[in-house]
Amino acid sequence: MPEDRSASDIVHGVPPIAVSSGSTLANRTGSWKYIRPIYQDMVAPCNAACPVGIDIEGYLNLVREGKVAEARDLLLRENPMPAVTGRVCDHPCQTHCNRAFFDDAVNIHAVERMLGDLEPEVRVPVLARTRQEKVAIVGSGPAGLSCAYHLARLGYAVTVFEADPEPGGALRYGIPEYRLPRNVLVREIERIRAQGVTIQCGVSVGDNLPWKPLESYDAVFLATGARVSRPLELAGTEAADVRPGLEFLREVEAGERRTIGRRVVVVGGTDTAVDCARAALRLGADPIVVCQGTRADVSAHAEAIEEAIREGVRFEFQVWPVGVQTSEHPEHEEPLEAIRTMYVEGEGDRPKVRLVSVECMRMRPGEPDPSGARRALPIQGTNFIIPADTMLTALGEEPDLGFLPPEITRKGYVVKVDEFGHTNRAGFFAGGDITGEPRTVAHSLGSGKRAAIGIDRYLRQRAGETLQDCVPQALRLGGSGNFSITRWRQDDPIRRTNPVNEVVPLEKLNLAHFTSVPGKPDRHRSFEERRSSFAEANLGLTTNEALAEARRCFNCGVCNRCELCLIFCPDVAIKRHPSGHAFSLSYKYCKGCGVCVKECPRGAMTMTREGL
Amino acid sequence: MKKVIMGNHAVSWGVRLARAEVIAAYPITPQTQVVEELSEMCATGALHARFIKVESEHSAMAACVGAASAGARAFTATSAQGLALMHEMLHWAALARLPIVVVDINRAMAPGWTIWTDQNDSLSQRDTGCLQFYCESNQEVLDSTIQAFKIGEAVDLPVLIVLDAFYLSHTFEPVDIPDQAEVDAFLPKRVARYRLDTNDPRSFGALTPPAVYMELRLRQQEAMEQALKVVDEVDEEWGRRFGRRYGAVESYRTEGAELVLVASGTIASTTRYVVDQLREQGEKVGLVKARLFRPFPTEAMRNALAGVPHVAVLDRNISPGHCGIFAEEIRAALYDLEPGRRPAIHGYIIGLGGRDVKPENIIDCIDRTRATARSGKPAPREDVWVGVQP
Repeated sequence: MPEDRSASDIVHGVPPIAVSSGSTLANRTGSWKYIRPIYQDMVAPCNAACPVGIDIEGYLNLVREGKVAEARDLLLRENPMPAVTGRVCDHPCQTHCNRAFFDDAVNIHAVERMLGDLEPEVRVPVLARTRQEKVAIVGSGPAGLSCAYHLARLGYAVTVFEADPEPGGALRYGIPEYRLPRNVLVREIERIRAQGVTIQCGVSVGDNLPWKPLESYDAVFLATGARVSRPLELAGTEAADVRPGLEFLREVEAGERRTIGRRVVVVGGTDTAVDCARAALRLGADPIVVCQGTRADVSAHAEAIEEAIREGVRFEFQVWPVGVQTSEHPEHEEPLEAIRTMYVEGEGDRPKVRLVSVECMRMRPGEPDPSGARRALPIQGTNFIIPADTMLTALGEEPDLGFLPPEITRKGYVVKVDEFGHTNRAGFFAGGDITGEPRTVAHSLGSGKRAAIGIDRYLRQRAGETLQDCVPQALRLGGSGNFSITRWRQDDPIRRTNPVNEVVPLEKLNLAHFTSVPGKPDRHRSFEERRSSFAEANLGLTTNEALAEARRCFNCGVCNRCELCLIFCPDVAIKRHPSGHAFSLSYKYCKGCGVCVKECPRGAMTMTREGL
Repeated sequence: MKKVIMGNHAVSWGVRLARAEVIAAYPITPQTQVVEELSEMCATGALHARFIKVESEHSAMAACVGAASAGARAFTATSAQGLALMHEMLHWAALARLPIVVVDINRAMAPGWTIWTDQNDSLSQRDTGCLQFYCESNQEVLDSTIQAFKIGEAVDLPVLIVLDAFYLSHTFEPVDIPDQAEVDAFLPKRVARYRLDTNDPRSFGALTPPAVYMELRLRQQEAMEQALKVVDEVDEEWGRRFGRRYGAVESYRTEGAELVLVASGTIASTTRYVVDQLREQGEKVGLVKARLFRPFPTEAMRNALAGVPHVAVLDRNISPGHCGIFAEEIRAALYDLEPGRRPAIHGYIIGLGGRDVKPENIIDCIDRTRATARSGKPAPREDVWVGVQP
């Protein structure tokens, strides 16, 4: 409004409308308030739920901003294997995604996978070796590789000892190729090697590598995994056609071919069981999985069961084997041409006692025991026979702690460790399946990272460094999630405003500002192709689809500069900060109405008492 | 370009050609197609306007108030209960001197629930400070809508353009749609005298003490008076550019008339037909069409009716407990004419709630007026309700 306008418009002593002649800046409405809004970044539920401890919300936001390389680097800060977890993690992040309460959870794992699969135009920077200490890692599964990666990036010289001929542990020998293509795994391991990690394969501690030399390292991380299959206590299972499922998967991986026949019974409700069945299906069999529990309470991931059923695997829930029938001259054996792809051992080793069938009974949940668990009980008179050429058992795996010196304290079947993975013996750390960690790839990666932080903390304290006040809870995303190594390193590339380490509750979000956009589910290979090939079943999303998924993220609890606060502020007290990273809030004019806090779609603002 | 379109779409075309910048509306029968068509125009990019969906007519008008306060050309349309719900905001728009154009499709007030036409909804807004125009044809609807922006922006007042439900809103007529370039020349972009500007923060509409409030109302009244002149100037310019004129008041075949009918909206159209028929038979009957209702064109009305012995006012409305509203206004306007030139005013209430007004109903009014005239009695103080059951 030009200055002379109001003067020339004065008639009868007034302007045409009730407008002040002076600027309203004279009216310091800020003096009215007793509470004030502040910008306060909280923790998104996906971050807190991630067993790896990834800043998921952070990388999704960078993708939304078009900074894909930065997003990939932020992801790689916490997770050395996004191409792996983007495929095999059961993504609790999505279970906790607030968007699930609105339309569909963001397909986070597909975005992670896309970022993991990116050809690195710029290689992930290899950080300088800044520490003198050497660390030995026993086991190259996800826990060992994660610990190695993070320690190398913290500046340590790291050597990984692996008993198997190839690195990867459970990733290689426990997860079939149709879920995790080997070229993907190899690329991820190369990424870890590129950080300066040395991996020695064919070295088994307690076997061809004595314990003693390990003690010369400044720290040791033990992550040998759980590789001993729990046995099925049943007469007749000594028949050669009754085998641990994990052994079967290892043989498939190693390319050994042995006859399994067409009728394969898999016993157990584990992920290994589902993988055995899906692998057997691909070898031409018609597998049946028998599980003690209902579909809802078996330990295998629901999505994996769903895919297996769609591929043609039959499941018998609440059924359990009570006996097997064997024969030295099985009459049921099918004509050779009916047995399609097989895995076969040497002809001369053909066992004499062959499996004929498996006898099962239907089960029902028993009365709850003092812990509340309902042990399954057989229902009398429900016995039935499943003809079988092969029975694979997958009742879960246990660690073999035989190589450990006795002074390292155990807790039941596992090694006892503190939150940093430290055993009772100074300098000896452990993680993954040999500790009490849940048996998932993501948890193993997370425990490897925790131990890396623990080892760094231990070695630096030993070297006499004064360290930051380190409460484990402060390192945990949202106070209860996994450790963030970015927090440990204190080098977060994302600017946080008044961060609080709490998960933003759904009620703090203002969903009125979002429009419904259905989530994009993964693409899959056709069932025909899947049944005859170990080619990857789940094809994820295209790059563009994954970018669109990232844009669906609510950015719960974190300001993404949507500017709604600025638009809604009735006092025009909010202005863009010249840095472009935040807003400046003028408390001279903010009268504490709280509209900005109420309107913030993501709960990134909060009201505080005036003067605090 | 000539198109055969319904009255509601004539409004939409007028708004499109006027290049409204913000449209906020809530649907109500019989107005819906106005904004339906506008939303299409916005969606296809034919009209570059911000189309705001709102949850009520009060919000629609509030959004227009906000937009117009920020300097935008704003438009909304409604009917009946919707217009009543806007009432508070109409006052606000008028005293904030915001030239918002509102189209009201005349619909009778409920209950009983009704969607058919009469004028009580718009006439209830008489004292809000909005200009009011009543239209007779789809062409006039389109032309008046464009004119409304120019008039309103010249005097900083909101303008209500009124048309009958169904008889006009849903009736298709050929309409000459002017070229955009010609309309642009007639109606340039709005330049607001005052607008919200964060770089020059001012208080708008703040507490105004008795010492200054009255002057604001005086200025509004002066703007209304100025509007009477502006209406004529704009109509004259429109005629020059597009060849069509309407006037605030139109006299039709009133030369030497012994009886003049005053009508508005589509009843004016039917009356025009009746007048033509009677003039063919040599009867001295004419029509005065009341187009502008606020500001009331007192002078024009006096010029049109002074010296006519009998005037029959056809009111599709009623001020309960008094009389037809046009009749009341015309009586007041003519009151101080010298006795020899002051017509007898005969009031007729007709066509409420959409009841059809046929030529024979108008002839009935004429016959009744003549009977009173012949009897030598003065015009009755109470209006005659035409066509009602005994």
